[in-house]
Amino acid sequence: MSVRVELKDIVQEYPSADGEGIVRVVDGVNLVYDKPGIHMLLGPSGCGKSTVLKLMGGVRPDGVVSPSSGEVLIDGKPCDGPHDDAVMVFQQYANFPHLSAYDNVAFPFKLKLWKNRVPAGERDARIKEVLTAVGLGDKLHHRPSQLSGGQNQRLALAQALVLRPRILLMDEPFGALDAQTRAEMQDLLVDLWREQQCLIVFVTHDITEALLLGDRVTILSTKPARVAREFDITEPRPRSDLWLRSTEANRLESEILDLLKEGNVRGGGQVRVTI
Amino acid sequence: MFNPHEVISTRTRQALGAVAILGVLAVWSALAGLDIVSQAKLPAPWEVASALGNLAMPNDKGESLLFAATWASLQRVVLAGVLVVVTGVPLGVLMGASPRINALLSPLVDPFRSAPIVAVLPILVMWLGIGELMKTTFLWAGAVVFLVPMVRDAIQAVPRTYYVKAKDLGASDFEAIWHSVFPMAKPRIADAMITAVSVEWTYITVAEYVNAKVGLGQLIQNARRFSAMDQVFAGIFVIIVLALITYQSMVAIKRWRYPWETE
Ligand SMILES: Nc1ncnc2c1ncn2[C@@H]1O[C@H](COP(=O)(O)OP(=O)(O)OP(=O)(O)O)[C@@H](O)[C@H]1O
Ligand SMILES: [Mg+2]
Repeated sequence: MSVRVELKDIVQEYPSADGEGIVRVVDGVNLVYDKPGIHMLLGPSGCGKSTVLKLMGGVRPDGVVSPSSGEVLIDGKPCDGPHDDAVMVFQQYANFPHLSAYDNVAFPFKLKLWKNRVPAGERDARIKEVLTAVGLGDKLHHRPSQLSGGQNQRLALAQALVLRPRILLMDEPFGALDAQTRAEMQDLLVDLWREQQCLIVFVTHDITEALLLGDRVTILSTKPARVAREFDITEPRPRSDLWLRSTEANRLESEILDLLKEGNVRGGGQVRVTI
Repeated sequence: MFNPHEVISTRTRQALGAVAILGVLAVWSALAGLDIVSQAKLPAPWEVASALGNLAMPNDKGESLLFAATWASLQRVVLAGVLVVVTGVPLGVLMGASPRINALLSPLVDPFRSAPIVAVLPILVMWLGIGELMKTTFLWAGAVVFLVPMVRDAIQAVPRTYYVKAKDLGASDFEAIWHSVFPMAKPRIADAMITAVSVEWTYITVAEYVNAKVGLGQLIQNARRFSAMDQVFAGIFVIIVLALITYQSMVAIKRWRYPWETE
């Protein structure tokens, strides 16, 4: 499957809090993702990860020029709104409280785009399959309020996966979950990706999560965000705890930690390290 | 005693409500029954009850005055209520969904929320005459100026993420509003409708002051002309009861349709 997402010299500025000046949050980010895989975007809290990811998804803030400069290209074409093939899983999931789990996943099929793309006869099977895959096969008729936080997160994921998107943009999807559930969700994602190989850009501020999931880990510097470094990880998934404790992983972890420590992060340099 | 979240049993709630009503009835009975306040000003509860009975009884022409009046008023309220909803809800949704439409239309709607609508009545009489058209228009105008801003606010209160999510999934603007934002706003829109229709019951007497042949407002007006205070009270009582029934049944329908709202 061919897929390409490219950010070219992306700059994003916001009006500063006092309303007087402007703050440059993202400063010249260049990124190229040109094959399916799980690509991790890692950076300290508040550095601009969501901003960068939303730009890829074509979700623009209201009342601000976005991006301030630079270009987002999807499959080589400039893209300034939500792309039909890119689906986001938001940091704050927004499942519809009035719809059952089944109807939440079926929601995109109310839209003309997906009505045309997915034949009516195929939808029901797809919805049930994906809900089963995320472990909600027995909760089809539960409403979000009757599901736990982790289950709601699974539901949000199912709603994206049912569309079999070529590009899946995930913004700290497991950030709010307890350690146990997060580990389950990470395993689930690895399994699902094997079945349905798409281009995933996955935002996180958790180094272990990045090491566990990523084919590539891109480190963003903070204030403003630049690409500090990109690491390729060739270790096959699922990655064991043993590997996580290996010298290789430890070396990677401490390098990333050093990069994340403020002051150590000098944006701009695009050193690629392959291990 | 002072805990806004305390859960009290239905029994306690009903008992406390009954205490208040019985208290008022007791004071009222004492004031009227012991002639502390003259009968012409304050009829006793039992006199109101018997007036109610007399009005309900078929008269020599075989028709019940109270029934005819109630039926006429009910028809007016229902007609105006339907008109208010079918015009006000779409308008409010449009204004909520588009800041441009809101900027265009809100100067025409918002000021009238605090306009003395009762003072508008003579103008309507001048323009539309004294028939049903004037009454319906008056009832419609009185409620629609409340409904439209409330529906707009209901749309705007839906968290932005639901709109953004729909757009991200490839929805057109219309689809994002229709499939994502509007369904989420429905419980608050229902609240707005309940308020608007309830307001009709407070305006009905005003609407019927002018040349009503029949109606609860006319009944009260007529009784006052003949200083039949017991009948005035009876008329007011019927309106309050009807308004309560309207309100409670609409609330019940809303709870049944949107059980997820409070979850
Ligand atoms: N619409 C906006 N207007 C003004 N400032 C904004 C806006 N959106 C984001 N910012 C600022 O940009 C910076 C980056 O925000 P962003 O949400 O991209 O960070 P993040 O890396 O995703 O953070 P977190 O890890 O907490 O999710 C923050 O300092 C934030 O205050
Ligand atoms: Mg974020």
